[in-house]
Amino acid sequence: MPRTVLALSLVALTMLSAASVAFAQDEPGWAKGRPKSDEAMKMAPVPAFPVPTPADQLPVKKLKLPPGFKVEVWASGVLDARGLRQGEKGNVFVSSLFVANKVYVIPESGDHKPKVIIDNMPLATGIEIHKGALYLATNTKIMRYDNVEANLDKLGEPTVIYDKLPGGEDHSWKYLRIKEEKLYFEVGAPCNLCDPGEWAKIFRMNLDGSGLETIASGVRNTVGFDFDPKTGYLWFTDNGRDWLSEELPNDELNVVTQPGKQHFGFPFCHQGNIPDPEFGWGKSCADFTKPAALLGPHAGSLGLKFYTGKMFPAKYRGAMFIALHGPWNRTKKYNGVYVAWPDGKGGAKVEPFMTGFVENNTYLGRPVDFLVMKDGSLLVSDDHAGAIYRISYSGK
Amino acid sequence: MKGRAGLALLTATLLISASPAGPQSKPRGGGKAGAPNPYAQRFATLCATCHGANGRGEIPGTPALAGQHSFYAITQLFLFREGRRSNEAMTAVAKPMSDADLRGFSDFIGTLPPVPAPPPATPPDAARMKKGAELARQHKCLICHGADLAGGQQVPRIGDQPEDYLQMTLRGFKSGQRVGYTMAMGQAVSQVTPEELDTLAYYAANFRANPAAPGK
Repeated sequence: MPRTVLALSLVALTMLSAASVAFAQDEPGWAKGRPKSDEAMKMAPVPAFPVPTPADQLPVKKLKLPPGFKVEVWASGVLDARGLRQGEKGNVFVSSLFVANKVYVIPESGDHKPKVIIDNMPLATGIEIHKGALYLATNTKIMRYDNVEANLDKLGEPTVIYDKLPGGEDHSWKYLRIKEEKLYFEVGAPCNLCDPGEWAKIFRMNLDGSGLETIASGVRNTVGFDFDPKTGYLWFTDNGRDWLSEELPNDELNVVTQPGKQHFGFPFCHQGNIPDPEFGWGKSCADFTKPAALLGPHAGSLGLKFYTGKMFPAKYRGAMFIALHGPWNRTKKYNGVYVAWPDGKGGAKVEPFMTGFVENNTYLGRPVDFLVMKDGSLLVSDDHAGAIYRISYSGK
Repeated sequence: MKGRAGLALLTATLLISASPAGPQSKPRGGGKAGAPNPYAQRFATLCATCHGANGRGEIPGTPALAGQHSFYAITQLFLFREGRRSNEAMTAVAKPMSDADLRGFSDFIGTLPPVPAPPPATPPDAARMKKGAELARQHKCLICHGADLAGGQQVPRIGDQPEDYLQMTLRGFKSGQRVGYTMAMGQAVSQVTPEELDTLAYYAANFRANPAAPGK
């Protein structure tokens, strides 16, 4: 529940005690819309495990990739590993979400042992590197640490460039990209399903926090986006609503072709063709921008990165990698790394790329974000196992 | 959508398992089948003084670990070790633990069957129990903790826990002094009055899921 709403409801409580029952019956945001069946009542979001999987027990041998590709452990013991970005000197920065409250740095060479550079910072999730500075966004503010690779032993105090984020818990964590001196970030819907008010959007701003603009509306919760190097269009994953059914709706892969002018449907229309049973009345799915592709029911589609390296075969250049974290709001679990190709007509073709993280309907790992290394190999973070994998191609 | 075929294939290969997902299904820390679990011994020397050899102790303000879930147990050991959940004795216990210790102790705790509390000298106050049941429904406690208050995965078993421990815990969440592994409880109790929290503690402490078969 956003703090402002909470504060308002507390005021209302003191003003009108008869209303207290109605307010107290508010469910947590994620439980809104949940049916009352026993099976559904057992489901809840599962937090990341508080202990990383030991290096020798990571599931790399169980992972399946196309022929010629290999996956290995690049780093282990990285509790709650989420976002991945790289500095100009080669240092890899790793963010976290609910569990670790940390940002780590891992040198490109050597034993890849993580070092904590920021600690005790809840939801230190959105990171980006630009001109030597680390940009870090929590659920409440966006900060900048200058000249970060020269100060890894002591980062010093950051400059706060924006402190008007709504905070809260539901869909409040951040993903960042910087392009042409503009910082792109999202503010998700503060609920499973609700009127999101001024949120559920992708925004951009100048690097000093000024000039806030809306880039896309009706975006329930994107935690992964990147620009197509060919067209410059912003592609993003969007997590569909929960509880509609086991198989619907799908997460969406979307593309912004007219920045600021497109509405992607939430909360009125899901996956481009399902009017919401509550919010869809009086609306038409035809009024909203349709997804480029569907990514699977309750897929938990997170990080998205266009492949800009040269190591992988030609067919992967210009494709984007997408991390499916895997559903909590579905009885049968699935996840993996997927790959998608823009079809040039506003759509995309999607294929599984690396799977095998699920055993006995239990996650052994859950992919989150990507980094294309200078040699063209691809790093993948896994917050469940607290690890980072490296995918390479040798053709053998 | 073309990715759909891949998904269908992938999900088709999954076993449909009724067993609860999560750490309970992982191999027990350090112990091979048939070999004694070293954490059973370490539990007996390190934990049993306060928490009881069978997971239910008699020290005031101390939760029963019997019937607790290993995922919940590891989250709390983690919070104690990190100094986020504040309790001097438990922080001292958890501070030197390695990641393998957190797994080993919590997996062992997950094997302890529930142990019912000794029957109270006088039966619980029926009117207060009725009020507690109403509040538990009204404040959606059962949504996560289950109709039998037995929890599951990261959600703790709260039924039949000592009343003083439950009261302290709920008040701690309300004041913000007790930090959870997620923000769920802080959010859940934010609009519950202190008197109602105490009634809920009384209710959960005296709750018996199935009086005919205590400790099921």
